[in-house]
Amino acid sequence: MSQAQTVPAGLPEKIHWELPTTADAVSIPWTIWFVLAGINLALVGGTLDMSWHMSIGRETFWTPAHMLIQMESILVGIASGYTILVTTFKGSTRAREASVRILGLYAPGGAFICLWGSVAMLTSAPFDNWWHNAYGLDTKIVATPPHMLLMIGSFANKIGAMTWMASMMNRSRTALRGRLEWWLLWAGMICVAQLAVMTMDFTWMSDMHTASCYLVIALLIPPMMIATGWGSAHKWGCTIVGAVYTALSLAAEWMLPLFPAHPKLGPVYHNITHMVPLRFPLLLIVPAVVTDLLLQRLAQRSSWIKALWIGPAFVLSFLAVQWPFADFLMSPASRNWIFGTAYFGYADSAGFLYDPYKFDAAQPLRVFLLTMAATLVVSLLTTRFGLAWGDWMRRVRR
Amino acid sequence: MRKLFTILLLLLPGTLAFAHVGSADVFYEGDAGPYHLFVTVRLPQVVPGIAEIEVRSALPDVESIRVVPLRLSGPGSNLPSVPDLAQRSKKDPQFFVSSLWFMEFGALQVRMEVNGDKGKAEISIPVASFARKSLPMARWLSGLLAVVFLFLTLGAVLIPGAIVTEGTVAPGAVPPSSNRRRARIVMAIALTLALLTLYQNRAAWNVQAAMYDRYVDLLKPPQAEVKLIDGNRLVIRPAGPIMVPVVGQDGVANEVNMDQLLPDHGHVMHLVLVSMPGMGTMFHLHPIRAGGVFSERLPAMPAGDYRVFGDIVDRNGYPWTLIGKVQLPTIKGTALVGDDSDWQGAQLTDPISETTVSYLPDGARMVWERGNAPLKANAPADLRFRVEEKDGTPAHDLEPYMGMVAHAEIICTDLSVFAHIHPAGSMSMAALDLAQAGLMVRHAPGDRGMAMEMAQSSRPQSPEFKFPYGFPHPGDYRIFVQIKRLGRPEGAAFDAHVQ
Repeated sequence: MSQAQTVPAGLPEKIHWELPTTADAVSIPWTIWFVLAGINLALVGGTLDMSWHMSIGRETFWTPAHMLIQMESILVGIASGYTILVTTFKGSTRAREASVRILGLYAPGGAFICLWGSVAMLTSAPFDNWWHNAYGLDTKIVATPPHMLLMIGSFANKIGAMTWMASMMNRSRTALRGRLEWWLLWAGMICVAQLAVMTMDFTWMSDMHTASCYLVIALLIPPMMIATGWGSAHKWGCTIVGAVYTALSLAAEWMLPLFPAHPKLGPVYHNITHMVPLRFPLLLIVPAVVTDLLLQRLAQRSSWIKALWIGPAFVLSFLAVQWPFADFLMSPASRNWIFGTAYFGYADSAGFLYDPYKFDAAQPLRVFLLTMAATLVVSLLTTRFGLAWGDWMRRVRR
Repeated sequence: MRKLFTILLLLLPGTLAFAHVGSADVFYEGDAGPYHLFVTVRLPQVVPGIAEIEVRSALPDVESIRVVPLRLSGPGSNLPSVPDLAQRSKKDPQFFVSSLWFMEFGALQVRMEVNGDKGKAEISIPVASFARKSLPMARWLSGLLAVVFLFLTLGAVLIPGAIVTEGTVAPGAVPPSSNRRRARIVMAIALTLALLTLYQNRAAWNVQAAMYDRYVDLLKPPQAEVKLIDGNRLVIRPAGPIMVPVVGQDGVANEVNMDQLLPDHGHVMHLVLVSMPGMGTMFHLHPIRAGGVFSERLPAMPAGDYRVFGDIVDRNGYPWTLIGKVQLPTIKGTALVGDDSDWQGAQLTDPISETTVSYLPDGARMVWERGNAPLKANAPADLRFRVEEKDGTPAHDLEPYMGMVAHAEIICTDLSVFAHIHPAGSMSMAALDLAQAGLMVRHAPGDRGMAMEMAQSSRPQSPEFKFPYGFPHPGDYRIFVQIKRLGRPEGAAFDAHVQ
């Protein structure tokens, strides 16, 4: 029998506050709320920042978008740092027993990951500032080391939050488990959205008829989406992640243009009068549904068998919808507020504006087939990794 | 690890930079419609970076000034971003300041919209945008980053190790040994990934630093090969292709096409030869171009070592100064012709003795009205001159010389500065024409030739004139000035110490 110290509901309030390490929490503690608030503010900030770069351009460290992003590091840092200090120096035996130990410090594993992510994010601020002073304002999303540090830190915060919440879920048999399950899916969804942005250089609509588009998706999306869906143990976990990603992306795409904006940085190649959204979401909802259906059907099979079916099915179902959808996105019928293919950033170059509705040159068939074969193998491995990660999240208790 | 946090400061001194040589900031004096303005554009050290724009109006008739940078020509030169409202000084209401992001290398313009008692007016000032250096990292920051990266690397190994060991174990239970084995594997993988990430980022950083250094290098004044052939023909050619970085395409640079240079007040190259040491002889010549080679049949010249400065303007309006040197024998050439001019006089002294009067060949004189105050570096001001007859009365025989009253070359005695300036400012006149033509096209497409027509005016010139300029750094300078009287170009020279 498991030795989980699941605590009945009705734990005295006093004990609850003395054990902010969530060893025995019956409701979501303020530390988790801080972490969730941080990653949600960063979600808004990140979306706003990308639009800011395409619409307004000029930036300092103090833009609203940057402030929202750095709020993540502050809130998550406070919550995780507090948890580590209190559990180590004032925590009860029970709180310490529900912790992992690193160099004499005690806390849930997720709290350590969160603190690590916060330090990385905070460090990226002066580093990025120096980078701008040394090499100028960069306009790429992840290409520079300080941006990479920010992205890795931000990603670590979400992974830490998921680990932290999963450990609480696995120790709980109360309604807390259900509430955390939704927040776990939410955090996983933000990770998927972040990864989808990172793939942008390979998955822009002009790339959607190249095999590398699907290779990059197979590399990054299944591990995160499947780990979240499978780890949450929700029957429709992946579908929820895919659906919320789609809904939020659409909300951003449809709402941002309602706000007026003008470029404040030259050169301006394209006249802008409103905030420019990123793009119509990738059709990840389709492979998400396929994945959930297969997970239900293969529930009793080994992880390798699951991966063997789900990985290729993920890629092929995505290809089956995204490929023809790319044809539609290139057509005049998509150049409206719904599909948003007529939006351009102010700095989109004249060369790009000359013919934005054109696919990249077709790859030779041999290269295409070889890359797609590699994509299927990669999808199998990344799905297997996602399942292992999900399994682990179902078991983590500290 | 230490290398990761270290960017080498370029050997290039901050002063050795372009838009002439060593004189990066742009000074302009002229009219924006009914408003007379003195404008200084202080360029950022790195690009993209923030430039400071300072504007002084001659009269208290200006209420507000909006400024915006954009390309001088081609795509991006028509759509300005939202202009910045320049801050008006509370102490001096005729002084306005603004900070502007310069995003690109190359030929840019600063467009200004002036509002005041006499309505709205516009003006555009060309600016050569280039980076002068890359920035070293402060010690405290490199120390902080070293500590943090050590912490992050350690954390990236220890945290997964601890989580794998204890994470799935029920509270209070002892982790099984299999977990510890698994943790060791995970920690090894985590360490490998952390080191790979550090290595990959260091490589990306090195690539970025090298690319930036290349940009800085490309926009240095290009070297010229200078040779004397046939006894008196001087041939000047770029020592290698002159390359301009292509913005937005990392590492890509285009070659300047020498067949598509813009004539700058009537000449494709303004060639200045200065004898060294001592600068006792100076020639301002105008070679002709054949392909990528410039040549000039030399006038009579004394033998000596000469420094060579060749000003050209590429088709985008970006000014380049080719620099080189040549040793010449005594040249028994022809007399000066056309717009060519010279000056021969006293050698520089050490220490320098400042001069404010320079005699012209017929006994008339040019006087520098510099006042008694010492000259200060980085203090933009008008360099004012007047030409007097022998009897001290104002000379009334000045004629337009290449479209304006006078030309000047400012050379630091250590050769770290060479600036070819005009009464309108320190920018190339070809670029100024391009900027003004852009404004005219915007307002009235038919007026495009106006700027050139003004330049070709032949009306008599005032004996008093001035050049807006700011000396870039302390040192000793010789200032050569050329005017035209009775159909003949004449030169003068002045020495000054700048604090």
